[in-house]
Amino acid sequence: MVDSAVEADSRDDASTRAEPMVAVYRHDVHKLRARPHASAADSYASVPVNETVPRDADRDAALLSRPAGEPEQTVANHESPYRLSLLTGETAATTERIKATTGGGFRALVTPEDPECLHARWLTSEVPAAFNESVYYPYTSLQYHVLLTAALLHNYRARHAFEDLFLVATTPDVTPNADAVSTRDPKTALAADAVEPHRTVLWTPEMTLHVTATPGDRPAARLGDVPARSFADVWSRLPAHPFDTDGERRWRLLDAQLRRIRSWSAALAYIDEFIELHGSAAGELEGDGA
Amino acid sequence: MTTIQQVLFELETDYMGHPYYLTGHALYTALARRVDAQARRSLNVSTGVFVPGEYGAYPESHSHDGYGGKLGMSLPPVESYEDVFVCRDAAQRWLLDSRPRDAHNTHDVQSHGGRLAFAPKAHFGRPPEHRNSKRTMHWHVHCYLHADGGDEDVLPLSVDVLDGLRVGGGRNYGFGELSLAETQVIDLDDLDYSRVREADNVQLELLSPYVLQSDSPGADSQSVPWWWESDGEFRRRTGRLVAGDECHELAMIDHGQVVGYAGDRPVETAINGIQRVGTHAKFGFGEFRVRPVSKDRVPGRVSIAGPRETVGGER
Repeated sequence: MVDSAVEADSRDDASTRAEPMVAVYRHDVHKLRARPHASAADSYASVPVNETVPRDADRDAALLSRPAGEPEQTVANHESPYRLSLLTGETAATTERIKATTGGGFRALVTPEDPECLHARWLTSEVPAAFNESVYYPYTSLQYHVLLTAALLHNYRARHAFEDLFLVATTPDVTPNADAVSTRDPKTALAADAVEPHRTVLWTPEMTLHVTATPGDRPAARLGDVPARSFADVWSRLPAHPFDTDGERRWRLLDAQLRRIRSWSAALAYIDEFIELHGSAAGELEGDGA
Repeated sequence: MTTIQQVLFELETDYMGHPYYLTGHALYTALARRVDAQARRSLNVSTGVFVPGEYGAYPESHSHDGYGGKLGMSLPPVESYEDVFVCRDAAQRWLLDSRPRDAHNTHDVQSHGGRLAFAPKAHFGRPPEHRNSKRTMHWHVHCYLHADGGDEDVLPLSVDVLDGLRVGGGRNYGFGELSLAETQVIDLDDLDYSRVREADNVQLELLSPYVLQSDSPGADSQSVPWWWESDGEFRRRTGRLVAGDECHELAMIDHGQVVGYAGDRPVETAINGIQRVGTHAKFGFGEFRVRPVSKDRVPGRVSIAGPRETVGGER
């Protein structure tokens, strides 16, 4: 992996008050606070927030998950900052998550000054999963939008263009790490070999996804020439899928759904929720019955 | 004359079968009970692609433009080769951006005593505080039939034969019931293939798995066709073909992948792709689409190639 902190040129470092890889995790704090972009505060808990992300990484990440151009309200009756779940059809904002945000529970996602700590917290927190990245597109996920933005910025700062990037899918290490992964706390994420700082965009007990220009010998598919809602296409082109679709019907079911979902942040949120509900702990009877 | 009969079903009850699509074999088995021996022998059945019963816009390559009305609930007119495939791809690119397209195109999963099934319909627009305002979307299944050469009079199958099939797990207990929504017959020789013919370079999109090996009696092993090109490895998978009490193991190249084309007769290849290639093509395997390389299959990529200041939904 390229060490971007060394490689990055300095032109974007001056544009944000916080260090760019810190500012990126703070760029949508106004959404956690259910405030419109126009009236977003410029600081929260004494740290700079809502700063414009350098190198258009925010715009490119948005184009991965929602249409370009003038937005339209896609779900009547749900003009709300809370995310709707593709898995359950219900709002993903549980009472605990709402309590966590109204009580300032997202402070841990904002105030750290260590970029890798911020990445680990966004990767493992349930709080930002309650929010969408746009009230017009309520099935999108703020959590995965921010993680995708950070992954793009990290790659861009290492002088990789969008067209050089890949989706990499890996299976987490076998036990004893499996137990640790299921706890999904930031400390475990920071220590896990499976997690690459900033470039790991999804970390679950069953599969890990990365956006990187340096896939190595891991199964990888190109993201394409320019950002678009291409999750189904990129997923379908992976040379190997990270779970046992031949062996277990639930993975065939998840795979089938992922070939249908085009928005990146909605797809990553779907994987997260599906594995929580139907992952190894759940168990299912086998066979397609055909 | 090379005709295909397109069939659109509506899913009436929960479905517990193959999750990627309804297998051609399941559809064939259900139909075979209702037709005579000649039809059983000559009938070829494609996979049944799940289609959300939704409104849509014709894709850029379609012979019609713009708003397509009830695209997922009807069979759009077919004049050009590209029109055959509007609903044949799981990503269902015709769904409107002004509606929650991914929610429409993702199955609701129901658990029946631990067995996961797809629901036949989904409800939208009902957050807790507006419980009364909801609308219902019905899932449909799109497939097509063709007959072996010389037996074309087997088609079209009648409404009586097509209506009320039951497929997938639990089909004897009310699961997987299909009603006929619409059917139409298309002559492949009459279609406009100019986009394929005039393209400098084409690639192939695999729409159903390609069988490399089957332990079914009499089935040949296949190698990867010489006219497929790839930089790396193809994603492979295993599967099963269940015939009565017997279960035949299959080794396949997984669908959804895009491969380069090394042949020099793209129009013939395109027609072969509709009629399918390789072992068990009769049951839906080996379907592919020929696509000009310059035409990106992800809508939106082309239009944002220029300056793009606005991203939807920022406020």
